[in-house]
Amino acid sequence: MTARLFAVGRAIAFVILALALCGVIFEFAGYSAPEMFQSIADGAFLNPGAWQGSLRWALPLFITATGVIISFRSGYFNVGAQGQFYIGAIGTTFVVDFMNGYPAALVIPLCFIAGIAGGAIWALWPGLLRVRSGADEVITTLMGNFIAGLILIYVTGGILKDPSGTGQVMASRPVAPAYRISSETGLSPTIVGAAIVVGVVMWILVNRSAFGVLAGLAGRNPIMIVWQGARMSRLGLAGFMLGGGLAGLAGAMEVLGPNGRLVSGFLPTLGFTAILIALVAGLSISGAAIVSLFFGGLASASLYLPVLAGLPAAAIDIINAAIALFITARAAPGLGWLAARRRAVGGA
Amino acid sequence: MNTGGQREAAVIEAIPSEAPSPSALQCRDISVQYGEVAALVGVSLAFAPKLIHAVVGQNGAGKTTFARVAAGLVKPVSGTLAIGGKEIPTGNVGLARAAGVELVHQNFALPPSFTVAEAMEFGAERGRPFFSRRGLEARWKKHLENLGVRAGLRDRIRDLPVEAQQGVEIARALVADAKVLILDEPTAVLSPSGIETLFERLKSLKASGVTIILILHKIREVLGIADTVTVLRGGRLVEGPVAARATNARRLSASIIGAQAEQEIAGDEAALVGATDEIKAAPVPAAVSQAAPVLAMERVFTRSDSEGPGLEEASLSIGRGEIVGVAGVEGNGQRTLVRVLANLVDAQSGRILLGGEDITKTPLSERRARGLRVIPFERNSEGLSLSSALWENWSARQLVLGSALKLINPARYRKACDASLKEWDVRYHTTAQPAGSLSGGNAQKLILAREIDADASLIIAAQPTRGLDVGATAFVWRALREARARGCAVLVISSDLDELFDISDRLIVMLSGRIVVEFRPPYRLGEVGAAMTGAH
Repeated sequence: MTARLFAVGRAIAFVILALALCGVIFEFAGYSAPEMFQSIADGAFLNPGAWQGSLRWALPLFITATGVIISFRSGYFNVGAQGQFYIGAIGTTFVVDFMNGYPAALVIPLCFIAGIAGGAIWALWPGLLRVRSGADEVITTLMGNFIAGLILIYVTGGILKDPSGTGQVMASRPVAPAYRISSETGLSPTIVGAAIVVGVVMWILVNRSAFGVLAGLAGRNPIMIVWQGARMSRLGLAGFMLGGGLAGLAGAMEVLGPNGRLVSGFLPTLGFTAILIALVAGLSISGAAIVSLFFGGLASASLYLPVLAGLPAAAIDIINAAIALFITARAAPGLGWLAARRRAVGGA
Repeated sequence: MNTGGQREAAVIEAIPSEAPSPSALQCRDISVQYGEVAALVGVSLAFAPKLIHAVVGQNGAGKTTFARVAAGLVKPVSGTLAIGGKEIPTGNVGLARAAGVELVHQNFALPPSFTVAEAMEFGAERGRPFFSRRGLEARWKKHLENLGVRAGLRDRIRDLPVEAQQGVEIARALVADAKVLILDEPTAVLSPSGIETLFERLKSLKASGVTIILILHKIREVLGIADTVTVLRGGRLVEGPVAARATNARRLSASIIGAQAEQEIAGDEAALVGATDEIKAAPVPAAVSQAAPVLAMERVFTRSDSEGPGLEEASLSIGRGEIVGVAGVEGNGQRTLVRVLANLVDAQSGRILLGGEDITKTPLSERRARGLRVIPFERNSEGLSLSSALWENWSARQLVLGSALKLINPARYRKACDASLKEWDVRYHTTAQPAGSLSGGNAQKLILAREIDADASLIIAAQPTRGLDVGATAFVWRALREARARGCAVLVISSDLDELFDISDRLIVMLSGRIVVEFRPPYRLGEVGAAMTGAH
């Protein structure tokens, strides 16, 4: 237990270090660092209603991050959460668009299923390439992100295009109010409930199931688990598809929830922030819940920055990038796991 | 200086005392530690110039480490190194190469995507900043021709046959003015005719004044080419360099394997285990052979792969309550034997029966469910996940058998693990500590605790005592004997013949993927050693 606390403490120390570095950089760039941190803190947690804003971003981040954690734990460096998130959102939009008029009790579950399936499919092919022919999943999932982004442009400009759109943004038709699971605030019993269910189920899967133990062993030493008779290809594919499915679920929730429609190029950093959350949390599900709130807060605060500190909202991206840099640089335990993967026995 | 054979003999004779001309390569009191393992212990050696010297020994004897020290790749904790009489700092590749020492690695080290000409150019010290393809080819054509290497200069290294690759490796090593050429297991990858070509090449190099140090393990080859032989065992110098003429296959194999060690270890073990009688008595009940064998392999054939030669028509049967030992110089198919039994390599033909049922195509989890247990060769990679907790490592065998979605209570597994590890006398702090924090002996006991259970019917123990101290070694053998007493069939692979002689009810010898001969007690070291090295 102390070891785990120490690891979390270390991660937090690195996050603080990254923030300090950003402060110095912005100070030199002519902004006021104290003002910046003040406005981040206000925007994330201190202002009235700030918590709701942070939670709105924390929930999809958390769901996606649990998926990332599952695939990292089983030894596969699936960095395609962003693309899986997009394909999930596209799948959902197709269902909601073509089933317009059917009862919500039918359409909404189908939308969720379509989102999960879309994300899982977008994880399936890199997973298959990995276990069948040993193609590096870092490359394939990363490329998958670009392809998914282009598919998103294609469908929002074509088959799913809103005919009454202004032409400034490419987007689908708005989701009919009956199928919306939340307003723009992104907070509703359905969304919070879904996040809690995902959190609990994933926590059980990681900490209380045979899969959790076997995937953990596989992630740390795939050779050993193969000598025990486990099939790495199955464990790995399961991890891959679960990760993709959860990212897809987050995509479904964004379309039916706060976004209310599919917009070309929406939330372009969500998948990457989720990877960051997984690493900062040391691949622990409960840790990810807390870390998601922090990063959700940063995302929410980015709206306040221009107003209060006169900073561009992109400053938050710089802060995220700095945190990513520091977290990767301190040989994160998550990355230590992946070093062993390089000597994996392939599809045995 | 005299000429011809006389001169050669004179040099050899002069080695033990002070050589008149400085040694081509001399090291004094070299010791190398890898973590807790002593790879070399106080080795002092001097190699006379312009001869072919063989360094022999079993796997783990320290041959490769010695070669790497000589080439400056490994820095010893103590000792000095002198090339051509001049002392150079240890652990510095650049200085070693400048002094004329070149090493040809066991696993070739040229970049596979380079063409031959590129590999020659950039293996040379003075690669020029700009080059043209044609210029490169013109520069290296002559060099390769002189060495008799037949390889197109535009061919990619990865496309060359193994023999040509090795030729290019050697040519690359000789680009600079090499005085001492070290080849680590050069024959391991070659066909018999390739070995002949290599030996011709080495002889002509010797004639041109290069000192050659060959790391070898086949005695026949040593006697075929070397002028002197040096034997290492367990990181220590056993003898040498002695003139190859002054020795013979029998003496060499005894010296490599360590005939004297037999009594010492048996004595120690008896003291620790207190079971001398059990060791010496033939423990197999006569009824064993009548029952259906636990394991039967019938003419199993596998392809050779990166991990070693394939099996060629390997047939083997082990009965209940029988321990069969596998002897052989490492790299002769023992790994493949274990891997085919664990379904980690496919049998191309032949059948494998476990408990009378055909399991040739059965996955490992199913084989394990039927009682197969494996103590793999590599404790730290194949046996354990070092960064995972003890209880996770211990539970893996049971968890693999069930559904992955089964809900478990980790506390219960921790408790069971705790009880099991106590029973096996593992020294640990908590079942949550990582397996990597255990000492070698305790780590092996953890594996034993996992693999030897009441449901085991066939236990494969691959090098189960490697790197263990005498006490832990005795513990492992006692555990395997107890398993035998319960009716398990046990297959033991070891490179320590003394241990095999002690524990095996039968002994088979593997050579080049074949099971060449079977011995029954009493074993004779000379016979077994000869069969291992193919010297008979």
